[in-house]
Amino acid sequence: MSKVLLGSLSDIPPGQAKGFDPNQTGKDTFFVVRQGNQLFAYTDICPHYGNTTLPWKRHHYLDSASDHIVCAAHGALFEIDSGTCVQGPCLGQKLLKIPIEVSSHSEMWISLETLEEFNL
Amino acid sequence: MNIIGPDKLVFGVDDVDACKQFALDYGLKDAGDNHYVALDGTGIEILAKDDASLPAPLQSGSMLRKTIYGVADQATLDAITEELSKDRDVKTLDDGSIEATDDVGFVLGFQVTVRQPLELAAEAINAPGAEPQRGVNKIGVSKDFTPKPRSLSHVVYFVPDIEKAEAFYAERLGFVTTDRFTDTGPFMRPGGTQDHHTLFFLKTPPFMQGVEHFTFHMGGPTEVSQAGYALMEKGYQSFWGPGRHIFGSNWFWYFKSPFGCNIEYDADMDLHDENWEPREAQPGADNSQVFLLKATEKWAPGGPGEKPLPR
Repeated sequence: MSKVLLGSLSDIPPGQAKGFDPNQTGKDTFFVVRQGNQLFAYTDICPHYGNTTLPWKRHHYLDSASDHIVCAAHGALFEIDSGTCVQGPCLGQKLLKIPIEVSSHSEMWISLETLEEFNL
Repeated sequence: MNIIGPDKLVFGVDDVDACKQFALDYGLKDAGDNHYVALDGTGIEILAKDDASLPAPLQSGSMLRKTIYGVADQATLDAITEELSKDRDVKTLDDGSIEATDDVGFVLGFQVTVRQPLELAAEAINAPGAEPQRGVNKIGVSKDFTPKPRSLSHVVYFVPDIEKAEAFYAERLGFVTTDRFTDTGPFMRPGGTQDHHTLFFLKTPPFMQGVEHFTFHMGGPTEVSQAGYALMEKGYQSFWGPGRHIFGSNWFWYFKSPFGCNIEYDADMDLHDENWEPREAQPGADNSQVFLLKATEKWAPGGPGEKPLPR
């Protein structure tokens, strides 16, 4: 399976997030949140409008306590592990989760099939 | 009611430092005591969401906690107090302003306006067939010029009960509906301004109630474009624009923000008086913008070797 290296796990400190733009579109198309050594990856699209990216500045996907993912357009809060909106304009809707892999050497990878399937 | 327009929006935010930096980068001036103001003294107040001085938040968690309107004089303030006291509590605060809640749950303040008169030129253009607005040897643009927000323009609310909201502002506070998006909401202006709107409602489910965006007037379309471009250069992300609205005719550029809502630059809004006949249109992009220039920051310009190779 062909895959693309996203970087090292250490690129994302615990409790932080990072956006990725593998096809260099000029806007990040997905992001990864790290909680401890667990990673959660979602497409960078708020379900409220379906075409709005989340952060107000690149990589700013979390609230100040790193408790929730935030959409800066209208303040939606999402659970980090499930991607479910728990407050705001898309209450009950979910971010679209995407699969990524972490190798035994703590490298983050995403498959070409995933990039294609989710149009990332 | 001689209500002039919004004087101040009070926010209770999650990330105070980020919001204060955003306010400065947007172009507002730090006026001390958590206030960030435009050239005419209107502006925003940024407090932590758990600050005890703030009114209670809406159930939706919206970070906008209070909208303070500027009124012409003490007589207007007294008239609002008398009118709203008929069916709700009206508090008089230490600074002489009053506070009450509207019929759909937004906390409002009213004060004798802090808005200072401005003596500034509008953006001037030269066009064939017209008398030059900018004289000979006067240049139009400079990279060194930093556009400054001039005045707090308008606020847009997400509201579940549009009819109830419109009736309150029209019947109790004398706002006028200038135009309307069908089944979405009215554009309204208070009696003391001719601006097309200082208030607009978007119909939403109850869990969405809050603020959609707020805006300051700039000196013209070039200032909207130049300020917006500078904001993008600082890393902030565009939401919608730049473009030009149809209702109001104002140039716009919206940005996402750490205030949990969008923040706009606008310029060149239509003015109306009692002779204006309100229009109505279906909401949507076709009726919201006469044109849209989609700004995208290209932060990854690419080139050989920058993209990890598939393996």
